[in-house]
Amino acid sequence: MKRLVVLAGLLAALVLPAAASAHPLGNFTVNRFARVQVSGHTLYVRYVLDMAEIPTYQARQQGVGAGVYALRIARGLRLTVDDAPARLVPVRRTLAFPAGAAGLHTLRLEVVLRGPEVTGSTRVTVDDRNEPDRLGWREVVVGAHAPSVSDELRAYPKSLLSSPLRVTRASAVLRPTSDPPPPLTRGPALRAPDRVADSGFATLIARRDLSGLVLLGSLAAALFWGAAHALSPGHGKTIVTAYLVGQRGTPRHAALLGLIVTATHTVGVFALGLVTLALSQFVVPDRLYPWLNLTAGALVVSVGLAVLRQRVAEWRHDRAHRTGLHLHVHGHVHDHTDFSRRGLLAVGISGGLLPCPSALVVLLAAISLHRLAFGLVLILAFSVGLAAAITGVGLLAVLAKRTFARRSFEGPLVRALPVASALVILVFGLVMSAHALPELA
Amino acid sequence: MRTRLALVGVAALAAALALLFGGAFEHEAAARGGDVLPPAIAEQLQRGFAAGATAALVAGLQGELRVQPSAKAYGTLGLAYEQRARETGDATFYGRAERALRRALALHPNDLNALAGLGQLALARHQFRHALTLGRAARRVSPTTAGVYGIVGDAQLELGRYRQAFTAFDRMATLKPSVASYARVSYARELLGDVRGAEQAMALAVSAAAGQREAAAWTRTQLGLLLLSSGRPAAAEREAQRALLVFPGYHLALDALAQAEAAQGRLATALRHERAAVARIPLPQYVGFLGDLERATGHPARARGQYELIRVIERLLAANGVRNDLDIALFDVDHGIRLRHALELARRGYRERPSIVGDDVLGWALARNGRCGEALPYARRALRLGTRDAVKEFHRGYVEACLGHRAAARTWYRRALALNPHFSILWAPVARKGALR
Repeated sequence: MKRLVVLAGLLAALVLPAAASAHPLGNFTVNRFARVQVSGHTLYVRYVLDMAEIPTYQARQQGVGAGVYALRIARGLRLTVDDAPARLVPVRRTLAFPAGAAGLHTLRLEVVLRGPEVTGSTRVTVDDRNEPDRLGWREVVVGAHAPSVSDELRAYPKSLLSSPLRVTRASAVLRPTSDPPPPLTRGPALRAPDRVADSGFATLIARRDLSGLVLLGSLAAALFWGAAHALSPGHGKTIVTAYLVGQRGTPRHAALLGLIVTATHTVGVFALGLVTLALSQFVVPDRLYPWLNLTAGALVVSVGLAVLRQRVAEWRHDRAHRTGLHLHVHGHVHDHTDFSRRGLLAVGISGGLLPCPSALVVLLAAISLHRLAFGLVLILAFSVGLAAAITGVGLLAVLAKRTFARRSFEGPLVRALPVASALVILVFGLVMSAHALPELA
Repeated sequence: MRTRLALVGVAALAAALALLFGGAFEHEAAARGGDVLPPAIAEQLQRGFAAGATAALVAGLQGELRVQPSAKAYGTLGLAYEQRARETGDATFYGRAERALRRALALHPNDLNALAGLGQLALARHQFRHALTLGRAARRVSPTTAGVYGIVGDAQLELGRYRQAFTAFDRMATLKPSVASYARVSYARELLGDVRGAEQAMALAVSAAAGQREAAAWTRTQLGLLLLSSGRPAAAEREAQRALLVFPGYHLALDALAQAEAAQGRLATALRHERAAVARIPLPQYVGFLGDLERATGHPARARGQYELIRVIERLLAANGVRNDLDIALFDVDHGIRLRHALELARRGYRERPSIVGDDVLGWALARNGRCGEALPYARRALRLGTRDAVKEFHRGYVEACLGHRAAARTWYRRALALNPHFSILWAPVARKGALR
């Protein structure tokens, strides 16, 4: 029963790798970043708010919406254009709750604010008066390409010989440019890479020297992390076990299952990576996760239902045999193997469908580091490790079942086992779906 | 209780602060770094602090260290970071302070600044035995530096070794009369029940702090809390206002002001000021008092929200490795939450911190769990130094009443109320009722 609880948190698998570290600037800081830029003829401010655990909890407790925060930010930003005060209007925003310390969340809000039109050379001054007393990092930069010390509140400098930044004002002469309007961060990058990227697997991609030995070592490490990841909650170990036990699986089935999981996971990561890169204007990958969860859940439910139906039919069939009422008809044996393949495919896909976030981080980092090939190989190795672990678990189940079955032929327990395993699959599928549903809202 | 704890519990407060901010540490009572330093650097720091130019000093040291790293510069930088943390309330500086001090120690294993600075950090982390070791090591390096006696004494105090602690404070004050030593003398007198003497010593600390913004505000606030704990909220309010005058937005002063206003029945303004303190730094005791104020002004839902926030803060503290069992136990017992669990916490906290604070909290937890026979020895021990503290006296009365000692209970309740009729929003009314029985 405890396993059920653990597995129920399929979402937890997404959160866990990130939950390791606290907010880098302390649990009570509210950190702010503003970038002033002119895109075309319009003045924009890209504003980032990064709250640590306690303010995030308070904000959620008070139930203030992101829209209200965006308006407050706009009000607190004093903008003057050629010495005349000007208004800022929030036009777009995005919100995420990256995991923080002690199972709590932090908050990252990004808002794009639109200011007035700019025709010629214009003196622009911005003064961030939002919560001047709150502790935290404060940074204001001017220009679309101006560097940010904190990488827009993603990576705070940890050097001993630097102090937290406290810049709340900037002034510069700006003129129209051909820059596009400021973007919003999308997807897992919003989930504070500073914290997510600390997981063991994700650090592999950033290795500086890539000699042959390091390469091999990295691959081995990726395999290991994949296997370790498979053994963390989620990823359908229980479902695989239940399925193989219930379906009288053979070692060949277990191996096939591993192959399917690897393929699905690799393809899934690449697909989600592509979506993140190419379609981020239209789809937020974060929004995809619950859908993927739901799909996996539905797949598992359908497998469970099919297995259950078949088991019940077989059980009736058996009883009919024993009571002598059975009339031999139709080739249901053929039916059986056919179904088995479909079921195997469904179970495998449900196990690999959910791309592991650190695999995604690796892919995105590989792209930004121009190490695409290395990244792809790493992810493949990761998927293989994942599949190997799942196959191992499956094999174990198959062998255990055989030993078990050899001892007590056709005992009532063995006969009940397939039905029970079908029920287990069904329940897990339902729980997975139920957990995905509230996330869709 | 809060009032009295404010001084004792500076360590607790500091720890909370430290934790909250992710691995930072502070010990306010032990905090006047200037005393630990060799005179030249001390002067340099003092001048910098006095002018409110610690930031510039830090920048100068950072530049110097980039060119030529030295134990001395790292040690000074560590202490300057601790001062920056006190000025800004930004605990990021504590983490930096620790790393700077450790580097100084690596370069020079007997660096006085580094030993003393790390001793202060250990105090804030409630590692009192470790702090004592560090303080003694610093004392061996320089037996004539006043500041090292502060660290040794503070640690002994929390370990319940009062006689040794007072000796250390005496030595400190003889070596160098300063804000730090006067504040400790004041605290020692307070523990011994000499309320007026404590005020006089703190007044000396106030004048010694003249010209140093944070130190001036801190001493004023402490004086205010002393006045409040002996039932003079109007005078306490004035001191808190003065502290805020030298240091606008100072969280300790805002909290003291709110307490003083609440004691005078001005709950609405108290609420406003406590909110401001929480907005500045959400220390558990501020959030708890804010919750009590919300409850007292008829907003039970908001009060619950604050109490839940405390749980969250405590989870964070625990995740950061901080043991503040006694503080959690006191809060839970006061608010009637998970009483049996609170007793366990109190027992654990007592083992770490066998001081009169430990005696008081453990006794109070036992009493509220209905085990008044066991509670009585602890309630007695909590007052063994002759401390005048309305909260501890009330706890003693509560235990006596629970054991059916009506006359004794009445006496203790009256004593507590005579000292400070507003010692607690929650429990003063109980004492008033009991005193009439």
